[in-house]
Amino acid sequence: MNTQVSNSCQQDDNNQQAGLGKLALLATAAAIAVQGCKKEKEGIYELNDVLIADQDAVKDRMKTNEQFVSILFTNLFQSGISSDIVFELNQCFLSIGDQELAREVLISNFFNQSNVQLPSVEVMMQDLDLFIIDTYKRFFVRLPSEGEKTWVKNFILSNPYMTPELVYFSFALSNEYLYY
Amino acid sequence: MIRRDFIKKTALTTTAAMAMPYILPSGRLFAASGNRSASHVVLVMFAGGVRHQESVGRRYLEGSQANEPYEGNIMYNMLSGGAPSMKIVYGTGEGGINPIPSILSTPLEQQGRLFTEVEALSAGHFGGLNSIVQGSDFAGQGLKQRPINPTVFEYLRRHGGYAATDTWFVGNGIGGSLPLLNYSSHPEYGIKYGGNFFAPLITFSETGYELLGNGKVYHPENELAPMYRLKAFLDNNFANNGAMLDSLGNTEEEKQSIKEFMNLMYEKVQNGSLLLPPITDNGDTATIGFACEVLNWFKPAFTVVNLSAVDQCHSDFTGYLKSLHRADHGVGWLWNYIQTQIPEMAGNTTIICIPECGRNLSPNAILDDNNWLAYDHSDANALRVFSLIAGPGVQTGVVGSEGNPVGSVRDVVPTVLETLGVSAASVPSGLISGMSFLDY
Repeated sequence: MNTQVSNSCQQDDNNQQAGLGKLALLATAAAIAVQGCKKEKEGIYELNDVLIADQDAVKDRMKTNEQFVSILFTNLFQSGISSDIVFELNQCFLSIGDQELAREVLISNFFNQSNVQLPSVEVMMQDLDLFIIDTYKRFFVRLPSEGEKTWVKNFILSNPYMTPELVYFSFALSNEYLYY
Repeated sequence: MIRRDFIKKTALTTTAAMAMPYILPSGRLFAASGNRSASHVVLVMFAGGVRHQESVGRRYLEGSQANEPYEGNIMYNMLSGGAPSMKIVYGTGEGGINPIPSILSTPLEQQGRLFTEVEALSAGHFGGLNSIVQGSDFAGQGLKQRPINPTVFEYLRRHGGYAATDTWFVGNGIGGSLPLLNYSSHPEYGIKYGGNFFAPLITFSETGYELLGNGKVYHPENELAPMYRLKAFLDNNFANNGAMLDSLGNTEEEKQSIKEFMNLMYEKVQNGSLLLPPITDNGDTATIGFACEVLNWFKPAFTVVNLSAVDQCHSDFTGYLKSLHRADHGVGWLWNYIQTQIPEMAGNTTIICIPECGRNLSPNAILDDNNWLAYDHSDANALRVFSLIAGPGVQTGVVGSEGNPVGSVRDVVPTVLETLGVSAASVPSGLISGMSFLDY
């Protein structure tokens, strides 16, 4: 009888041990599976993400003379232009074969007006990064890439004659400004 | 293996570079090798629709108006022959009774060659103008559309190596297709070989002065140069995104010169010192005055001047006669100015005058103040024009007659190319269908 009991206990112990073994195996397999499927952690190196390409939306539509003139006027004077002047300026543009030259002449005329809204050189130099970002936003309706910002910054710093007016002139005359 | 490839490619590239012709900055291959008979050509598109009868026909009122049997030549700077002796309405003063005195002592006809019966390809203005500047038929050409075939400006610049400011179109306005005629939409040519264009009556008008005449002057090296450099950087970045924008190809020096010219014109208009023919009471004569300013400043190899005041013939025959008389006056003054006031061009310039189309044989029903009938342009008579050429090496004499037409408006382009030493053989075949007036 006792022997039967002890046999029965031994059998129970064996069963228990086998169950625990299976459990351990399952746990190990699960642990391996979980570990194996775990997404690799990205290293953090205390650097910010930078944009190396332009993030602007595709600009593939060319502005009409009227659109160019209206937008330019708003950018430079922070106010709207009358439709009469837009019409007359379009006529003047049509009367000149070299459109780039016509735009250049128009911009130089705008800059000769007293109410043109321009930051001073001091303001520009005070926070050059901000000036460049604001200029890109004002003329190109986008942020500059890091490459652009760095190049423009170095260019301004290495050219003592560059003023906000000349920077605006370049942007207003650029090909990107002709598109939207 | 890589080294062997490198050596192979280098050898190939070197051989190709040596064998390939050099592409000049203007985009053409080699330099023009043809002989020039003149260094400058001025093409007067004597346009607006000039009726054969009143112009080279020298018939004045004879045949066009009932019971007015008065013949005569009202274009005596260009053509030989006496002026009408009666019923004078085309001059100055009240009723136009004072004919404008001739400027040239010898009419252009006697200085060069007159083609009396030339074929116009279109009875419409812009079809006609297009066929003149393209040197080909205008089939498929739409209004307010760039010429579909290359223009004479593009041939000169691409195959002759002429700079942008060597070629000018001085238009009398910006209506219709006129401001589009300085370059074509042809994929192999286009804007980068285009000619410069001004419609001076608009550019240098009072409004033009107010809007464009007060430009700030920048230092070319300290200010403009860095401004252009920054612009080039911005353009390159934009080009990287696939956006390219060709321009007319004026160099920075040429642009500077054009801006100085514009400032001079605004100044001259303001102080009343513009070059103008003695009688300047319509747009054509003022346009010719500005054209002389262009010639004086740039000394271009090729200049087109477009006139069109005679188009009032649709409703005012008297006004048409006045405009015809003034267009002749303007041409006489222009030729005289070149020969006497621009030493670089004197004796070295060829002039070509040609209308883009003629006018109808029969009048419409519109009467003017003299009860004279007006003429439109839509029938076979509107395809009859003339051509007058004078300059170094141009033979003299009269070619063709009524019923024996010689030449076509499409012959203008080959004539200009030949005169300026650009071999027509350098132009891809099929683009130009005419032959030079100098070869008839």
